Amino acid sequence: MTTSSASTSTWVSTTSVSSSGKRIQREMVELNMDPPPDCSAGPKGDNLYHWVATIIGPPGTPYQGGIYFLDITFPGDYPFKPPKIVFRTRVFHCNVDSSGNVSLEIVKDGWSPALTITKVLLAIRSIFTKPDPYNPLVPSIAHLYLADKVKHDELASEWTMRFAK
Amino acid sequence: MVREEEPKQSPKTQPRESNPVEIGSGPSGNSLMFSPRFKSAAAMAGWDEESLLIASLVVDDTPEQDIKQKKRSVFRSKTPPTNSSRRKRRVQRKSPVSIPVAVLDLDSEETTKEESVKEKVEPEIVVVNEEKKTGEYEKMGESSGASCSSSNLPCMDKLRDELSCAICLEICFEPSTTPCGHSFCKKCLRSAADKCGKRCPKCRQLMSNGRSCTVNTVLWNTIQLLFPQEVEARKAAGALNSREEGEREIPDKAFSSSNSRNQSRRVSGRDVAVRRRRVVLSQDDDEDDPAPLAIRLQMREAENQNRGLGSLARPVRISSGREIRPIISSRDANPTSSRRVPNQHEDAALALRLQREEFMEAFRGTSSDQSSASLSLARANLRAMASRATNRGAATRFM
Repeated sequence: MTTSSASTSTWVSTTSVSSSGKRIQREMVELNMDPPPDCSAGPKGDNLYHWVATIIGPPGTPYQGGIYFLDITFPGDYPFKPPKIVFRTRVFHCNVDSSGNVSLEIVKDGWSPALTITKVLLAIRSIFTKPDPYNPLVPSIAHLYLADKVKHDELASEWTMRFAK
Repeated sequence: MVREEEPKQSPKTQPRESNPVEIGSGPSGNSLMFSPRFKSAAAMAGWDEESLLIASLVVDDTPEQDIKQKKRSVFRSKTPPTNSSRRKRRVQRKSPVSIPVAVLDLDSEETTKEESVKEKVEPEIVVVNEEKKTGEYEKMGESSGASCSSSNLPCMDKLRDELSCAICLEICFEPSTTPCGHSFCKKCLRSAADKCGKRCPKCRQLMSNGRSCTVNTVLWNTIQLLFPQEVEARKAAGALNSREEGEREIPDKAFSSSNSRNQSRRVSGRDVAVRRRRVVLSQDDDEDDPAPLAIRLQMREAENQNRGLGSLARPVRISSGREIRPIISSRDANPTSSRRVPNQHEDAALALRLQREEFMEAFRGTSSDQSSASLSLARANLRAMASRATNRGAATRFM
């Protein structure tokens, strides 16, 4: 953590300090000091605008124990535009498609500049516990979820075992 | 070599603590120039009203810089700047002025700090520092009252969170309040309204006046009172881009304050709090302690002597009872250390400060003959200073 903060501070000081960079840096510090449960996030490398995050599948769900990697890309006019979230780990979920895109209202039209990465991660974590089959990205999974939840959970935990552990 | 003298100096530098503040409060009126304590002291010393008045007038005209100084010192002590001592030291190294100050002020504690493990908090040192700190507060509290105590508020971190803009996550700068009651920086709110539609970023209620937002003055004033350092840094950052000249001062401030914001956002435990306090203290010691004034005075005197004004300046140095030659020479050797050209006003202000200090000392002193000696010295000094100030004032006017 010390190394990452040091590198980002030099990063910020070498370029002109944009408001988005400042805000991202602040979020990073805050995230490090007070991380949300079962989540972590931070810049991939030197670029403050490309982060990688992990979410641990919440207990009591078929995703339990799985470690899910996500890529977060901040737009240049963050926080006025939402960050792009992509799952890097395959997951059997009606709101996550095969290329990892997430259908999450708050990172699309429901975005507000008052939201932070912490909140976004918590929201993503919450779709593990509560999938939204009525706004699905993968309709077949949503159908299965509504029709046969036991089967759905079975498949989901199988995917968790295979891809996320 | 410098360090050997520290123990001698430190007890003396402390009484001067309250003086900058007194002087800072001066311009509001002549009667306020002198605290009752000082007045009575002056009366007992047998000073005539005239010399007092002259000195006060001279100080009165000037001390923009002194006020700044005082302000800064209050800021520093108020907000809880923090960070690893490593970073702090980096800041120190950046600014040429603070280097000798650190040597002078921090006594032996600084050396222990340097030796101690960087991130670790050493309980012993902390205790010592805290004691010193509270002492400072008491002294400052004499003149500047409650404003100093705000840094002691236990809810400072909550306040910081509460008064932060949800968009930029910094302390609201010129906060603007939506009809639904949420406040953001004016700029942030405006950009949000431009880019994200006219809904409150917090609660998504429609807000019609996204473009023509007004500053919530009460909130803004409150923020300025509570977080003067952040506000200053933000203002400075706004002006930074165009100006090169402010490079030394402003990034310094911005750096430290951003650190403080980052670090003190959440108190993760006692450690952080303690470390913060420690850094607050050492920062105070760095720049805003009265001791730098002494150094500056001495520098100035050294320069005066170069200019052939030594005969006038000398009494002050003698009366300060301090051997400062090594410091002068070391500082003179370093050309970057003399930051600004001294002027008569500063001279006079500093002299007055010295006088006051000496009075305080005199009345605290145990042996009567010592006090009477310093009294007469002080009296002579003030006369000298007053006449010097008037002479110089006249001289500059002719020129």
